[in-house]
Amino acid sequence: MAVHRGRGVAAIEYPTGMNQNGDPSQAWIKVKPDGRVDVFSGTADIGNGAKTIQSQIVAETIGVPYDWVTFDNSNTDSSPVCTGTFASRATFVAGKAVLKAAEEVRHKLLEIAGLEMEASADDLEVVDGEVMVKGSPTEKLSVADVAGAATYGHGQLITGTGAQLKPYAEILDPETGVVSSPPHSAISYAACAAEVEVDDETGNVRVLKLIQAYDVGKAINPALVEGQIQGGAIMGLGLAVLENAYPYYPSVEHRGYGFGSYYSPGMEDLPELETIIIENPSADGPYGAKGIGEMANNAQPAAIAAAVHDAAGVWITELPITPELVLKALEAKAEPRREGKLVAFDDEISVNTVGAGISWMP
Amino acid sequence: MNITLNGVSRQISSPPLTPLLRVLRNELNVVSAKAGCEAGGCGACTVLVDGRPQRSCLTAVGSLNGAAVTTLEGLGTSENLSAVQQAFVHHYAAQCGFCTPGMVVAATAYLDAGGSDDKEAIQEALGGHVCRCTGYLKIVNAIAAAATQSEFDLTITAEEPNVVVKTGGR
Amino acid sequence: MKAVGARLPRYDGVGHVTGQTQFVDDVRVREMLWAKALRSPHHHAAITRMDTSKAEAMPGVEAVITHADVPLLEYGHLSALGIPADEPLLAKDEVRYKGQPIALVAAEDADTARAGVEAIEIDYEERPTLFDVRKAFDDDAPTVHRWGNWYPHFEGEMDRRQIRKGNIEEAFEAADTIVSGVYRPAAIEHAPLETQVSMVVPEPDGRLTVYSCTQALYFSLGVMAAHLQVPLNRLKVVGGTVGGGFGGKVDTASETVTALAAMKANRPVKWRWTREEEFLASSTRAPWHMEIIDAVTSDGWILGRKMLTLHDSGAYARFSPYGLTKHSFHHTGAYTIPNLHFDGYVVFTNRVPTTAMRGFGVTSVSFATETHMSRIADVLGLDPFEVRLKNANRINDTSPNMITYPDPSTVDVVLSIAEATDHSLDDAYMSMSRAQRSGDMLPEHLAAQIGEGHEHASLHALVHGVDNDSEGN
Repeated sequence: MAVHRGRGVAAIEYPTGMNQNGDPSQAWIKVKPDGRVDVFSGTADIGNGAKTIQSQIVAETIGVPYDWVTFDNSNTDSSPVCTGTFASRATFVAGKAVLKAAEEVRHKLLEIAGLEMEASADDLEVVDGEVMVKGSPTEKLSVADVAGAATYGHGQLITGTGAQLKPYAEILDPETGVVSSPPHSAISYAACAAEVEVDDETGNVRVLKLIQAYDVGKAINPALVEGQIQGGAIMGLGLAVLENAYPYYPSVEHRGYGFGSYYSPGMEDLPELETIIIENPSADGPYGAKGIGEMANNAQPAAIAAAVHDAAGVWITELPITPELVLKALEAKAEPRREGKLVAFDDEISVNTVGAGISWMP
Repeated sequence: MNITLNGVSRQISSPPLTPLLRVLRNELNVVSAKAGCEAGGCGACTVLVDGRPQRSCLTAVGSLNGAAVTTLEGLGTSENLSAVQQAFVHHYAAQCGFCTPGMVVAATAYLDAGGSDDKEAIQEALGGHVCRCTGYLKIVNAIAAAATQSEFDLTITAEEPNVVVKTGGR
Repeated sequence: MKAVGARLPRYDGVGHVTGQTQFVDDVRVREMLWAKALRSPHHHAAITRMDTSKAEAMPGVEAVITHADVPLLEYGHLSALGIPADEPLLAKDEVRYKGQPIALVAAEDADTARAGVEAIEIDYEERPTLFDVRKAFDDDAPTVHRWGNWYPHFEGEMDRRQIRKGNIEEAFEAADTIVSGVYRPAAIEHAPLETQVSMVVPEPDGRLTVYSCTQALYFSLGVMAAHLQVPLNRLKVVGGTVGGGFGGKVDTASETVTALAAMKANRPVKWRWTREEEFLASSTRAPWHMEIIDAVTSDGWILGRKMLTLHDSGAYARFSPYGLTKHSFHHTGAYTIPNLHFDGYVVFTNRVPTTAMRGFGVTSVSFATETHMSRIADVLGLDPFEVRLKNANRINDTSPNMITYPDPSTVDVVLSIAEATDHSLDDAYMSMSRAQRSGDMLPEHLAAQIGEGHEHASLHALVHGVDNDSEGN
C-alpha cells in the first residue's frame, strides 16, 4: 500500500463568442457636463467582471480616469441589446461594442475641444482627463471644461453608440459540417500540467499542483484574468475528481440535494497553482483581448486523468475519478484489447457492449 | 425579545424558532447575510453571535435573547472599511460577491481569535464556506494579508506570486 | 494612467465586501407575495387529472398559475438558430422529468404558498423511463419525447450532427496503429451561491418590472415577451448583478411564471428556488458519452479520427443542439487532423434538461480528446508533449469545418508548460512555432490540405513522420 505521484498534461482551444455568431451587443455612452462618463451596456456581471472590464475599456478609449466612469447594466429600459454573459463574449463581443461607443465619444469630445481651443480635432488627443494639442502638452483643456462647453456653450450632448455583430455562420452542407464563415470571433488556447497523488489503499486522488498557461490575447485586467483562471482551475478539479449530479449515473437515484451531499470543491481542495499568462493579441478583440472565462475549466480533467495514469498505471475515463473507480481499476488491471493494429480501450462501457442500436466498431 | 444588532438594540417579533437569517432579512431588512442554502452548507449567511461565527440559517432567534449579533454591515462601511474588507478588495477576493459576506465575517472572527497568516490554518478555519467563482486562492491570500497588515491600497489590486506574464506569441 | 492592462480594483468590489451589492433577493417592495411550485414527483408520467380549486380557495393564496394561464405555452428559445420549441413553460398533460414545474402558487407567505401547492389535486399515470443514452436507440427502448429518443431537426432535418473531412478510409488504411477509447464525463451542477430567483412587480402604467438573476437580460426579455405575447416595452428586466451563473442562468427558468402570478394577483411576487430545488430541478451540465477511434502513425501523427458523441439532453432540447454543434466544431481540439468522421446525437432521457455550462459543448470534448491524446502517446511509447507539438494547429491549417486558423497558439501554450515543468524536449521541438506548416515538416496527409507546392511531400514522411533536420521551420 502506497501513495503514488504522477504528472499529466493537456492542451485545449476554445472559441470566443456564440458558436456560429449572430449574437449582437450594443452600448451607449453619455458625458455629463463635468466630463464624467456614463456607460449603458446590457452585459450582466455574473462575477466575471463585466462592469470592471467594460469600464476600463471606456476609460482607456476616451482617455479619462477609471473612476470617472459609471457603468449601468441594470435594466433593459436604459441599456441597449446585449445577448448575454456566456460563450466568453462579455469582454470580446460586448467589450467591442463599448469600445466603439467610446471612440465616438472621444471623437465628439475632440470636435468640441477643437472649437474651444481653435485647433483641428485631428491635432488633439485626450490624456488622463485632459485634451491637449499633440506634441504640445502645455496647450490643454480639461475634459470637464469641454463637456461643460458642449452643454452650456454649444448646445450639444457628447454621446456615442456602438454595436458589435458578427454575422451568423451558416452550415452550408449538413453532410460535412462546412460553414460559410468562421463560426467564432477568436480562438483562445491553454495548456495545463497536473501533479497528483493516488493512494492505492483508499483510491483517493489528491490534486497537488496545477500549472497552467493561457493565451488571453491581452489581459485588460490581469487580476480578473487570474481570477477566471484560478476559479476555472478549481471547477475543473471538481469535474475531474469530485462532482457528479448523478453519482450512480445513468441511474437517477441518490442525487445530492445540498452542499453536504453534492461534492463541489471546498477550500481544503485548493492545490498549488502556477499561472502563465501569454499575451498574443487577437486581430479584432478590444485591445487584442480574447475570451478565456469559459475554457478555464476545460483542461484540468484530462491533465488529471493522465496524471492518475502516470501515478497508478490505470486509465480512468469516466468522470469524476472517484476512489471507487480508482480501486476497481487497480483491481481489474484492465489491458486494452489488441487485434491487428487496433488497440481498443474501454470495451466494457462502449455502445457496442451496452447496446445502443448503433454499430460503432473500428 | 431583544438582540443587539450591530450595536443597536432591536426588538424581535418573529416566533422564537424562526431562523435568525429570516429575522434579519425579512423582519429587520438587514440583507448582507445571504440565503445560499438555508441548511448550514454554504456559509453565506454567517454572522457573529457574541463575537463567534455562526450560521444564521441554523440559529433559532429564540436562543439569542440579549445576545450581540454582528452582520457584515456592522464590520465596516464603504467610507471606513475594516482591514479584512480592504484586503478582500486589494486581493480581488470577491467575484460575484454572494459568498463574500459570509467569508468576510468568518475571516474577521478567525483573525479576532488570534488567527495567523498560515494558509492551512485559514483553509481549516473557513472550511465549509463555499465559493464557486474564485477558486479560493485569492480569498486565502486576502485573509493571510489581513493577519499582518491593517491598511491596503484600494486603487490597485495585489500582484500575485506564481503568475508570469509573457508578451507576444512564438 | 493607462486603464487597459492595469490591476484596477473591481468596479463593484467595495459593494461586495460591505454587503451593499444588491442581488434580486435583497430588493424590498411592499405587499410582496411568495411563490412555491408544484413539481412532478415522477420521472415520466401522464397527468390524468388536475384540480386547483381547493388551492385557489385557501385564505392567503392570491394566484395559482397552470399551463392554461400561459399565452404561448411552448417557445423555442433558439428558434433563430432553427431549433423548434418542445418544452412547455408549465407541464400540461405529461411530465418528462422529476421536478418539472406544473403549477405555481403565490401567497402571503412561503408557508401558505407551500400549503397551497399541497392542496392542488393531481393524478398521474406513470410511464416507462429511459436514463441510459446508450440504450436510447434500442428497438425496445421506451419513447420519451414526441420527436423520438433523439433530436431530429439539425440542418436538412438530419437526426445527427455530422462532420466529414478528407478521406477517413484512406487514413485508417495508412495507419500503423488504431487507438479507440470511451469517455464519459458526469453531469455537473452549476451550484451558484445564489439560487434561481425572480421578482415581478406590476407597475401603475401596466408594465411589469422583472427583477431577475438572468445572465442575459435581453435574452430573458425576449423569451418572456414571447411566452406572454406582449411587445418588448411591456417588460422592464432589472438585473445585471448575478450571484454566480456558470451558464445555468441563461435559461429563463422562473421569470415568466412569476410574471403570470404577479399579473393574476396584481401584486409583486417573488419566486426564489430553495437550494434543494436548485440541485434537483434546475438544469445541469450534460453528461456525455464519447467514443473516439484514431488512426495514428507509429511516430505519433494523427491521420484520422472517427468519433461518436451521445449528448444526454435530458427531457427537452433547450440549448443541447447548439451545444452539440459547438462540440462537433471542436472535436479535433488544439490539433489539426485532416481526415474526420464525426456523428453526434442529442439524446433525450427522463433526466432534468441539461443546459449550457462553462465551456459548453467543449469541456466534454476537451476531456475526451486530450485523454485520448495521452493514451496515444502511451500506446506508442512517445512523449506526450511531442505528440501534441507535432499535431498542433499551425497558421492556415483547417478546422473540422474547413475554416483556416489564422493565429493558433497550441505550440505556445504547450512549450510554456514544458518550460514551467522542466520537461526536457529536443531542440527540434523547443524551436517549433505557430508558423505555417512547411512541406518539409509534413507527412503527405497534411501537405494535401495546405495545397499548392506541397503535394510532393514524401510518402516517407507519412510513414516515418518528420525529418528531424528540417522540423520546426
